[in-house]
Formats: sequence, C-alpha cells, structure tokens
Amino acid sequence: MSNPAGRTTDWAEDDEPDLATALPQPQITKNKDGTETVVTYSINEKGQKIKRTQRIRRTVIKKRENPRVAERRAWPKMGIEAGRAPGPHPDTTTLGENIIFRPVAGFKSGNTEEKEKDDKKADALKKMQIKCRICSGDHFTTKCPFRDTMAPEGEAGAGAGDGMGGEDGAEGGLGAGGSSYVPPHLRKGAGATGERMGGKYERDDLATLRVTNVSEFAEEDELRAMFERFGRVTRVFLAKDRETGRAKGFAFVSFVDRSDAAIACEKMDGYGFHHLILRVEFAKKST
Amino acid sequence: MRPILLSGHERALTQVKFSKEGDLIFSVSKDHNACAWYANNGERFGVYKGHQGALWTVDVDPNTVLLATGGADNTIRLWEVKTGKLLKTWEFGTAIKRVEFSEDGRLLLGVTEKRQGQLSTVIVYEINPDPEAEQTSEQSLRIVCDELPKVTVAGFSYLSKYIITGHEDGSVSKWDAKTGELLQNVFVHDADLQVTDLQWSQDRTYFITASKDKTAKLMTVDELEVLKTYVADTPLNSAAITPVKDYVILGGGQAAMDVTTTSARQGKFEARFYHKVFEEEIGRVRGHFGPLNYVAVSPTGTCYCSGGEDGYVRVHHFDPPYFDFKFEVEREKENQSRI
Repeated sequence: MSNPAGRTTDWAEDDEPDLATALPQPQITKNKDGTETVVTYSINEKGQKIKRTQRIRRTVIKKRENPRVAERRAWPKMGIEAGRAPGPHPDTTTLGENIIFRPVAGFKSGNTEEKEKDDKKADALKKMQIKCRICSGDHFTTKCPFRDTMAPEGEAGAGAGDGMGGEDGAEGGLGAGGSSYVPPHLRKGAGATGERMGGKYERDDLATLRVTNVSEFAEEDELRAMFERFGRVTRVFLAKDRETGRAKGFAFVSFVDRSDAAIACEKMDGYGFHHLILRVEFAKKST
Repeated sequence: MRPILLSGHERALTQVKFSKEGDLIFSVSKDHNACAWYANNGERFGVYKGHQGALWTVDVDPNTVLLATGGADNTIRLWEVKTGKLLKTWEFGTAIKRVEFSEDGRLLLGVTEKRQGQLSTVIVYEINPDPEAEQTSEQSLRIVCDELPKVTVAGFSYLSKYIITGHEDGSVSKWDAKTGELLQNVFVHDADLQVTDLQWSQDRTYFITASKDKTAKLMTVDELEVLKTYVADTPLNSAAITPVKDYVILGGGQAAMDVTTTSARQGKFEARFYHKVFEEEIGRVRGHFGPLNYVAVSPTGTCYCSGGEDGYVRVHHFDPPYFDFKFEVEREKENQSRI
C-alpha cells in the first residue's frame, strides 16, 4: 500500500492516507554502540495502535563477483528445467552428510594398514624357504629324491624348530624370546600402528585442554564460545550424566594449534564461570 | 564440509567439468544426457538432450558459450551453453572418447576409438566462438595412430603448441599441434595399463596423468619428464591438480564390474588428496558408492566435484582447514622469511 505521492489508484484505498498521517512518523535514533533503534507505529486488525521498537545493527558485506558469472546466474533455465522456479530442487539436488576433511601430514587410512599386513604375509609366504629335512635342498621333504634311501635326521624336533624360526623372522618378531607370550601392546611396532579405542577419530592430545570444576548447568556451546576467543576449536566435549543430562563437572576442549591452547590454558585457568572457578590444564594422554 | 549431491543422471557419470570462472558444472553420463549445474548451490541449470548413446566426454570453451560433448553414438556435438541449442554435429566411424577445447577456445580436439577396423584418431576442428556463426565441417588436423596403441585421452598444451595423448599401453606422446608430427613417445605407466585421465595445470605447462596401474604422474610438456609420482592402492580413473593450494586429487576405485562383489569400504571409492610437491597423501574424502570416474577442481580452487559410477555428482566446497594446512617445512620457511 505504498502511496508515496498521495496519488489514489483505487477508491477503496482512498481513506488510508489519512490514517497513515494520523500515526506518528517512524523514529530512527542512532545508539552509541553503532546500532539503530527504529520505532514504528501501525494499526492492527482490531484497530489498536501498535508501537514496534526494533534494534538494528547494519553490517555491510562486500562481495565481488565476476560480471559474467552474475550474468550467467540470471540466465533463464533451459531444457527440461525450463520454467521451473529458481533455486535447487530436491529431486536433483540434495545435501549430503557433513564430512570432516582435515588434511594431515603422514595420512594413513585404516585400510592401508590392513593391506600392508596382508602384503607382508604374502611376502613372507613367498620368501619362506622350503628346506628338505633329508638333503637340505629347496623342496618339500616328501618330494625328496633321497627319501627312500636316507632317513630323515633328527625328525620332528629339528623340523619344527626350523619352521618356527622362519615364521618369527617374517612376522616382525613376536618378542625377543620368541617362546614366551608377549601381550599385543608390547610387541614390536604395536605402539605406532595399534588401533586406538574409541574409533577412527585420532585425538590430537597435544592441543587438548582439560577443564575441571565446570558448573553442572554448563552447556557445550557456552564453553565453545568462551574458548573460541583464543583460536579455532575443533572439539568440545562436556561430560554429562546420562540420566539427569547435567554436566559432570569436567570437559575437554581441543584446539587446532597448540599455541592457542597454551594461551587459552593460561587465560582461562581461574576464570569465574557461573558460580565456580574453572581449572584449566593440558589434558594428559590417555593410557 | 557438506557435499552437494547432484542426482540428475540415471546412469554412471563419465566426466564432469567446471566453467572457467568455476560457477557452472557440466556433467555427462551414460544416460545420453549432459547437464549443467550451478556450482554454488547445486541448482540444475539445464539439460542438453540429443545424443543417441552413452556420453563419454564433455568440455566447455573458456568463454562458457559453447559446450562440446562426445559419446558412443559416434558424434561430437556442439551446444550453446545458454540456450541448449544444438549448433553442430560431427559424425565419425567410432565412438568419441575425449573432447577438449584449446586454451583460447579456437580449437576443438576429439579422440575416436579404435574399433571395427577403424584406427584410433585425434581430430582437430577450428571453432568459431560466435554461437550464431556456422561451424566448419572440415578437420584442420587429423592424426591417425597406426603404429601406436589406441589413444585414450588427449589435450592441448600451452598456446596450443602440442597435443599430448595418453595411450592404452600406459605411454604418453607429444605431437606437433600444427603439423600432426609425432615428436616423442615415452612409457611412464606400467605396460598394458591404460592412461585413464590427463588434466592440465592452470598454465598448461605441465599435466597429471592417471592410470590403471594405481599411480598418477605429474609430467612436463616440454620434455615429457616425470616430475612427481603419486602412488595409490587402487586403479585410478582420474587425477586433478588444484589451483591455490599445491595438492592433487586422485579418484578411482575398483573396476565397475567388480563392484558388486566388494563392500563400499573395500572398494576404496574415495577421493585421495596428495601434496603436489611432497607426494604424500594428506587425506581422503568418502561418499561415493562406486568408483569415481572423474574428479574436477574449480579453477578458483575453492571447490571440487567428483562424478561416480553410482550416478551421483558430489560437489564439495572446501573448509578453512583445507586452506590452512601446511607441512612443517612450509611453516618454517614462512617463519624464516618473516624474520
């Protein structure tokens, strides 16, 4: 119903300009913090006068666009899409699940490890030397040409020993002794390749802070907001009671950079949050 | 990052391409259609209908005015991007496996398949960039590969000086783009494993090849020298060089015919990111249910898309970690230069 010139286009709207003039003009006042307060008046269906106060912050976002791209964006659709409303249509365009993609040096997928293992086994099998127990030639004992003439010397003992020795070398060492049981986590090469509990997400313990003495009414978002001031936060974990849903009093906050984490640790240790004083320290590596 | 899934095709994707400004994506598939999409929101702009067989290849000229498609109906077709109008059809004896515009959009090359007693050829047409103009039916150059094995991929080097071709036997050749003379032929990939893709760096002075031998190689145009080798654990269908950041993206997976016998996890249907200089793998992006047939990177370097055997195009806009990532040596160098 904008009728700026007061020109009437419809007889039904004739009396509206009068009403509009009866209402006070909108007021715009600038606040100190850069926001604006806009007060407008209107009349609702019941004929009551409504005063609406809005506080607005104006931000200018500048975006450069190639004029040719802008032109193409305005092209009318064609082919079987011709005449359809602008914007993506769910029959052809959908959003996938969020993927966390963080490049890391020395990336290794779980798959390749398995593969390597397989390869190693295959290699070991290939390399495993076949040694005849009769003549020490490179064929099976049963295929030995001297099988009938010479008896196998030292039979079982020597044979089994040989076999074990070969396997040991190939498997990458079950342990120093070879005979005694060595738990998996103590075996050679286990520390680096062993899969950690809790799934595939490698925790970057170096830049993780442990926050204790957290109020039980705290929320993850609050913590994130507090810690994001110091750098990019990758993960906030707030331990919660399963039944009550309240915080248990401690949380972990991971940063991208250790230096950010160090600053955050220094600044947030002793910070008053809700009614408690936070204690912040670097998380110790879980064992 | 949240990928945008484009599901406008009914069969496996064969190639995807970005326009020069990175705002439009063109995809072709075995369902006989080519589609154009807006890269920023995944909205479909239109469909180019007319081919009678599976499409193998697509390319758009640098002005995003003309679109060339080639496929199993033995034709190369030229379309007007804006209206979807068919401008020209060139017919051949066998299927077209690859089309590519030169850097300036004045030349178009096509690769025909070797079959039915016909030899594999590379043909070149001069293109009039005006969509209203009549396009020539006369080939300006025709390279017949009678001694070398069949050509699988081809492209124009910088200044349209050379034509580089990849072959079925894993070799790469360089031809003079004016005379069609064979200048060099080198074996870079394992014998009898075909070169599946060839994509250019931005200035077209070097390129990356992908092969079924599970490696991708970065090669110079001038010497056909292998600069870098990226080793994957699966046959590769495609490789792309990313602008802005020094990465390469490899796509592949088990051959389509073996897919049903393996799970998606084993099939390795992931886009692999390698550092271009250090040749080290830095990450993977999962999502497809089938092998990735093509990966393309936006010339702006801010997003990439992959077309899979599963019939989906997935468009990924990179997050800040992608741009922030640096190797320790790169950081050190930066710090030193700051001091």
